[in-house]
Amino acid sequence: MDIFDLMIIGAGPAGYLAAERAAHAGFSVLLAEKGNIGGVCLNEGCIPSKTLLYSAKIFDSAIHGQKYGIKTDDITLDHTEVIARKNKVVKKLVGGIKAKLRTLSVTVIQGEAMIQPKTSDGFKVRINDTEYTGKRLLIATGSMPVIPGIQNVQEGIKNGFVLTNKEILDLDVVPDRLVVIGGGVIGLEMASYYNSAGSQVTIIEMLDHIAGQTDLEISSILKKNYEKKGIIFKLGAKVTGLAEGKVIYESDGKVHEVPADKVLMSIGRRPVTSDLGLENIGVLVEKGAVVTDLYCKTNIAGVYAAGDVNGKSLLAHTAYREAEVAVNNMLGKKDVMRYDVIPSVIYTNPEVACIGETQDSANQKDIDYDIVKLSMMYSGRYVAEHEAGDGICKLLIDKNTRKLIGAHMIGNPVSEIIFGVGIMMENEMRIEDIKELVFPHPTVSEIIREGIFEFK
Amino acid sequence: MATPIIMPRQGNTVETCIISKWHKKKGDKVKPGDILFTYETDKASFEEESTAEGILLDIFFGEDDEVPVLTNVCVIGNEGEDISQFAPSGKKEIKEEAIKETVDSPITEPAPQPEKAPDDILRISPRARNLAEKERVDPSMAQGSGPQGRIIEKDIIELAKKGPRATSVAFEEFTASDKKPQGTGIGGMVTASDIKAPKAEPVSMVIDDDYEDQKLPNIRKVIAKAMHHSLSSTAQLTLNSSFDATAILDLRSKLKAAAQTQSMPNITINDIVLFAVSRTLKKHKAVNAHFLDDKIRYFKHANLGVAVDTERGLLVPTLMAADTKSLSELATASKDLITKTQTGKITPDELTGGTFTITNLGTLGVESFTPVINPPQTAILGVNNITYRQKKTDNGFETYPAMGLSLTFDHRAIDGAPAARFLKDLCETLENIFILLI
Repeated sequence: MDIFDLMIIGAGPAGYLAAERAAHAGFSVLLAEKGNIGGVCLNEGCIPSKTLLYSAKIFDSAIHGQKYGIKTDDITLDHTEVIARKNKVVKKLVGGIKAKLRTLSVTVIQGEAMIQPKTSDGFKVRINDTEYTGKRLLIATGSMPVIPGIQNVQEGIKNGFVLTNKEILDLDVVPDRLVVIGGGVIGLEMASYYNSAGSQVTIIEMLDHIAGQTDLEISSILKKNYEKKGIIFKLGAKVTGLAEGKVIYESDGKVHEVPADKVLMSIGRRPVTSDLGLENIGVLVEKGAVVTDLYCKTNIAGVYAAGDVNGKSLLAHTAYREAEVAVNNMLGKKDVMRYDVIPSVIYTNPEVACIGETQDSANQKDIDYDIVKLSMMYSGRYVAEHEAGDGICKLLIDKNTRKLIGAHMIGNPVSEIIFGVGIMMENEMRIEDIKELVFPHPTVSEIIREGIFEFK
Repeated sequence: MATPIIMPRQGNTVETCIISKWHKKKGDKVKPGDILFTYETDKASFEEESTAEGILLDIFFGEDDEVPVLTNVCVIGNEGEDISQFAPSGKKEIKEEAIKETVDSPITEPAPQPEKAPDDILRISPRARNLAEKERVDPSMAQGSGPQGRIIEKDIIELAKKGPRATSVAFEEFTASDKKPQGTGIGGMVTASDIKAPKAEPVSMVIDDDYEDQKLPNIRKVIAKAMHHSLSSTAQLTLNSSFDATAILDLRSKLKAAAQTQSMPNITINDIVLFAVSRTLKKHKAVNAHFLDDKIRYFKHANLGVAVDTERGLLVPTLMAADTKSLSELATASKDLITKTQTGKITPDELTGGTFTITNLGTLGVESFTPVINPPQTAILGVNNITYRQKKTDNGFETYPAMGLSLTFDHRAIDGAPAARFLKDLCETLENIFILLI
């Protein structure tokens, strides 16, 4: 009987990366996946949505080209071509991962995994009627969209009226009227694309602001940008039901309805922890998520969990890091998750990128902080590339230690800049230290340097 | 003058030993008799005591290292002594580095400080101190390898490699504080929050496996192999019998009483059994033999293996030519052997050469068992406890102390009847022990 050093359930970012790292370290690894290798991220999340958004960005640039001296006529967005290109990109990246796993001799098994009670040989997992044995387990089953129990939702899903992040990436035809329920990251990104592609988009959000935990000033700038493009927001609104061709919601105590050809359900995601057999080995699950510590260990020795399944962050890059922390701890190398320095990005146009404390969270934690806020116009490069850009950058420092504790930016291309702030924060750099760093000129990243020198 | 400690040669056939545990670490004060390290041959485990007084200046081999016998393992001396000549591979480069350092940085040498107690001053070169600040390591955690243990640049480079390093925010407090928390920052760096409140191990309710795995010490591996070999390669079976122990108990109490007034060794029941066995074996040569597949080797003397329970595991030292020793000589020799075995001073040579083995579980209340033969010996005797039985005499039923004996023999070498005859003979000898003493 073969005993694997590590058995991984789920081949998303956490699962496939853990497989790569563990195999590279010499472990024999089994990787089980019931859907597609690459998980939600690669097949129906991060990557496909970015290909769509890039097409939308080129399209928007072309439309507004006049501002930059570029005149074009008859600009069209061919949705079918966009989707075809998306599929090509996904195929290429999935192929790349498969090849890597093959090179590292990871045993990849397609099928639904069910954890069996532990025996003296080790952990047991049943996949397609075959039982596999391993010394360690990594739960990396990811998350799935939350579908609220409102009227006609299930019917809507069946007849294709209601979509999740998965189906909306494969629509044949751009809907005339798209209603997005939930103004979080997924909802905003898809709203952005379909708005550019020609849909009349309405976003219904229960809170009084969009983009969840994002800095309020930044989320309101983002909202203004969206409104300029013609997206309609219904904030503080609760969807109560669906009917043929419309969405019914309540706000200010009144019932409203908005016509819809398609509805995107993006109110959130929840960890996949059922029908896995976690109870067979006694893994602690709280509020639907596998409970893990900062070493990504569960309550059962030898069982680890990484990625969305722990319900902590639900971001692919968090999953990557968790996978590495889990594998490092399996290898006896002490490694620990530092959740307070994980960047978050919204790939809208303009992009939003944040890390660390916001004013709100710093106030809640009683941190004695200083803040500077700069217009992105302080960056020459930003001015050169943005007519009438309204991006901002906010930096927070701890007054006592004078280290950087938060950064919040809106404007392109902040998604590519935020990691640098992450390095500064991981190293607990003080503003005096950061002042000694050289930023290439002219880049938008110089906004960080400008901001740092504003502190007294 | 520093004193090197060598790996002793334990017996003529031993070429290397494995260090299983260090009891002292570099920099510890040691005095003669302190246990420095434990080491193992393929047969047994030993402890090496210090023969010198001073500081353990350097250790050349770690745990689990295999060390050739008569090689320097560590060196003891006074602080700051040059020990480079003792390193097994000659560690001259340390000294050269130290010289180079002083040449490199004579100008930055600070003005002599007012004298302080030596413990308060960190002996460190200015270059090393500058580097420590740059690398954000605490120089007091460095192992000084310069003259008189002075910390030099190389030591800081070494420390920076191993860590812990601190972030710039945490650095000042990190070096000032006595507590050195576990770093949870990037690359294990000590962060400000680590100093404030070292992070506790999270996740409550951790359910650990209800077992612990422990690597087998060499001696356990040897025992495991020997036991399995014995049971898988011989045809052993056990005969159980008992004898009236009145005579030996009587003898024992008389000898005990006599020992209080005369100079004679403490003679135990076990010694009396050994004595009786050594004499009885002479009449049953098939039991005092080695079965060597195509031949049987009969021995002229009874070399008795005595199973001894030690902290490290079962060891069987040999009482050579027990049949030539008087009861008192035998008692002295066995006591000496058992003490040496239990304190780890027995040599591998003293663990070989047995022709017959005795194992005593009677002191632990065992009434009968199946001892495992130590091949190529043909038999082993298990000594059990004393129970009280009844026997029918002319006066009716009498209660008497019965001591159990369990003889395991290799049926390849001996048949049941001769083995039983040996056991019967032994029982009779023990019941009439006084005859042997005449």
